[in-house]
Amino acid sequence: MQFFKETNIDFIKSRFFFFVLSCISLGIGILLILFSEINFGIDFVGGTEIQVAFNQPVQIDDIRSNIEKGGIGDAEIKTFGKNNQYLIRVKENNTNDSKISTQIMSVLQKSYPGENVTKLGENSIGPKVGKEMRNSAIIAVLLSIIAITLYIAFRFEFVYGLGAIIGLVHDVLFTVGFVLFMGQIGVLNVQFDQTMLAAILTVIGYSINDTVVIFDRIRENNEIHKGLEIKKIINLSLNETLSRTVNTGLSVILVLTIMVFTAGPVLQNFAFTMLVGVIVGTYSSIYISSSYVIYVVDKKLRKDRAHELALKRK
Amino acid sequence: MKKRSISNILIVILPIILSAVLLYPTYRATQLEKVEKEYFQRASSNSADSMKIMDNFYKLHGEDLESAKKGRLKLGLDLRGGMYVTLEADVLKLVEESANEESKDEIFAQVIEKTKQQTEMSDANTIDIFLKNFDEIARPKKKYLSDYFDFNTSDDLAKAEEQIQDKLRENEAEAIDQAIEVIRNRVDKYGISEPTIQKQGSRRVVLELPGVQDENQMLSLVKTTARLEFKSVNNDQALVKSFFKIDQFLASGGKDFIDNELSKVDSSNVQKDTANVASKAIGDKKANSKSDASNNTKIDSAKLTENKTADTANPYANLSNEEAAKKYMKDHPFTIMFSSRYSQDNKSQAQEIDYSRDIFPEGTYHFMASEDNMKKILVLMKRPEIKNLLPEGSNLFFDAKPMVLKDNNGKDVNYYNFYACKDFQPKLTGEVITDAIATYNQTNNQPVVNMVMNSDGAERWSKITGANIGNRIAVILDDQVYTAPVVQSKITGGSSEITGMENADEAKLLKIVLKSGALKAPVQAAEVRVVGPSLGEDSINSGLKSSIISFFVVILFMIIYYAMGGVVADIALFVNLGLLLGFMAAFDGTLTLPGIAGIILTIGMAVDSNVLIFERIREELHKGRNLQSAVDEGFSKALTAIIDSNLTTFITGVILYFFGTGPIQGFAMTLMMGILATLFTATILSKALVRLFIKPGSNYFNFGQPKEEVATSNVK
Repeated sequence: MQFFKETNIDFIKSRFFFFVLSCISLGIGILLILFSEINFGIDFVGGTEIQVAFNQPVQIDDIRSNIEKGGIGDAEIKTFGKNNQYLIRVKENNTNDSKISTQIMSVLQKSYPGENVTKLGENSIGPKVGKEMRNSAIIAVLLSIIAITLYIAFRFEFVYGLGAIIGLVHDVLFTVGFVLFMGQIGVLNVQFDQTMLAAILTVIGYSINDTVVIFDRIRENNEIHKGLEIKKIINLSLNETLSRTVNTGLSVILVLTIMVFTAGPVLQNFAFTMLVGVIVGTYSSIYISSSYVIYVVDKKLRKDRAHELALKRK
Repeated sequence: MKKRSISNILIVILPIILSAVLLYPTYRATQLEKVEKEYFQRASSNSADSMKIMDNFYKLHGEDLESAKKGRLKLGLDLRGGMYVTLEADVLKLVEESANEESKDEIFAQVIEKTKQQTEMSDANTIDIFLKNFDEIARPKKKYLSDYFDFNTSDDLAKAEEQIQDKLRENEAEAIDQAIEVIRNRVDKYGISEPTIQKQGSRRVVLELPGVQDENQMLSLVKTTARLEFKSVNNDQALVKSFFKIDQFLASGGKDFIDNELSKVDSSNVQKDTANVASKAIGDKKANSKSDASNNTKIDSAKLTENKTADTANPYANLSNEEAAKKYMKDHPFTIMFSSRYSQDNKSQAQEIDYSRDIFPEGTYHFMASEDNMKKILVLMKRPEIKNLLPEGSNLFFDAKPMVLKDNNGKDVNYYNFYACKDFQPKLTGEVITDAIATYNQTNNQPVVNMVMNSDGAERWSKITGANIGNRIAVILDDQVYTAPVVQSKITGGSSEITGMENADEAKLLKIVLKSGALKAPVQAAEVRVVGPSLGEDSINSGLKSSIISFFVVILFMIIYYAMGGVVADIALFVNLGLLLGFMAAFDGTLTLPGIAGIILTIGMAVDSNVLIFERIREELHKGRNLQSAVDEGFSKALTAIIDSNLTTFITGVILYFFGTGPIQGFAMTLMMGILATLFTATILSKALVRLFIKPGSNYFNFGQPKEEVATSNVK
């Protein structure tokens, strides 16, 4: 079986169009990150979160008003997995002073005497720990980006390292922006927590993997076809790796799509975030990272030529 | 060519064997646990023989199960349910509590209040903030640290302030160690199986308590302050006489009593002891009759009188060795559970005694039981009928730390010394201790602990020590004996030196225990995560389901697209997963939910590597190379891309592992192991497989390439 036979698609031609497209979507993404209220998980801000199950589905508003009557204000309530299971979240609760979870459970048991309300699980995190986790998360993301740049710059050329990083930043911003957007319009129950962080770091890993494969081919073609224009070399490399790009992308997308639908509430957000990241990562390897390399190498070439010409005139 | 194919076969077979070996304990443990469950069900439906049924199981599979459990792949709390708690020392409370109760005043309260507000906002060290606030608020009002704290030894003001500051910091550093010791004690007592207690940084401890759901149960583990007591040790003639009576009581009351009582002990704890003891009793007796002197490590068993033939009154006189052992076991169900040794005083060499007759010399006795027997004895001691047979006011207390000795099979077994202890009148508790210091004796350089008491304690201590010279006094924390030193002389002045620690670590532990009498290290839960058993099960099920589905979809895709090449990639993928899980099991990794995500990512990476290689081989075939060189070229040209892409992902994994916490680390761990496995399977293993699959002399292998290319490559 073969999807592609010796393709010769001119990827490079449309790079300006996609550059503009990326800029626009990134702009929207950044605006979303900056101005929408990011729903941080209690991992990063502290608070208490309990998962409860009822015998039958009940109204979320009903639960909320009951909890408020019980003296626990500002609770966030969502369904969780099955439709008779709910997640109740109270932010910035000090774990020591009051056992919020016990309080909530007793309120629920009193309000729904006919139901057998059971606690499936509970997370409760002090504000200080949350802050520390947030800090170490930011450090982890930054450090891995830096380490990857250094590795690529060492294995290839510095401009490739930069190209890879620009692609990475693009992917991370787009993914976070898109996932937030999905949360904003209510398609997803997203919150920014440790699982999401793991997903983003995996996206970084995947996206760099994709870029490296293409760069590797460019490196090789550079040796074989010395003197050929960089645009042509890159286009050739993109075509030669196209089959691999599509096949791998397809398998991973298949796996992640299956996960989105079957992996259960805890892994669902993880899978969705990765799915977005993998698609955008595949795209950025072609249109962002490679285009950046063309841009820089071309510019340098023109400068050199101009220099040469100037020398000749003299 | 032949040599090459042998090495290729080895490359394929060895990793398969390796992963099978590494995963066998996991398989075995799961299987045996099923069997155990069956036995347990039978035992609980049949109360009369419940002990026997369970004993039977442990006799058959006990050791097997135990060793399988050690090597199995462990599941994280998110998959099996349980509680994850991070505790933090409440440093400010520690400072507050260590101040003198009488001298606390308005100014001190102000300092504490301000520090409290500031610590909530800041990450800075609490003691630093406290000292800064003290300088700002208290010092202008001519108050000094020495007005509130009295652990300075110097009267010089500047020096005293410095000493107090040092001491506050020292207490802070010790608080979490103290908490760990207390919690470790209790975890055992609550019967929580396979808990982990880990120090994280200097101020935190992470508890993982599988199976615990109830927050109140956890809090009772953590919150209640520990109880430190001094008691007198009375391992004397009266005690062994009472042991003899307990034997008689149990032997006449029938074995039923013990069986009934002991079946209440958690079934997993009741190990194949009775069987063990029996075989040992016989073994020892044989050893004795052969007068083998070298068996001094076999202590946990009954010894028969050596002069049995000389004494006509001896009930064992006319019995064969084996029968004698059987009878002894039947007559002495209690005392066969531990070893009893006698010495005239605390100094002379102790010798084993037995309970065949009710005649015991006066002097000091030493008792020791294996861990399993200790649990049984503790259960028996809860029964008033039995406890009342002990000398009045006495109770049995076991050592907190075991001695590890070899049993007959050369296996390590934990043995605990135990003592019959009585309260002093009035009771003496750890509250009288003001400080404890671990140091070295100046003359012989042995580790020692200096214990300092307040004036009230010192007065009583001198009376008690004066009355107990030559006797032992036990230091007991939460009903466990940490040390039971012999009183050498009357101690006046409240400062005592405790010797007999084997190393500096033991001395440090004792110091921490003694201080917990003076200062209850306050801890607070900084993070609590509970996963209910049904949530854990759901997670496992859906995680497994989605892994399996995606695994098969990928496998199918590879075969459809790459034909025989796909088969090679799929075998490599299986071996990859086997190695990944096997290494996780071997290196004590824990499989968590994010870990499953890591495995799925590994599948993706592994597939990618094979796609890279096969695409390359197809390309080379298309260029008209013959099969052999196309395969070689394909693997070698894809190698750089595979290594570069996997290494960059590996870097991400390393960073995640070191900067992430809990769940993220689980993800990073599987990711890293997966990448290592991928590097091996994708490059070395699948190459060997391709070579093995190519028929000798053939120039065709189906990588799913279009037919016409096959033809051209065949021509060349």
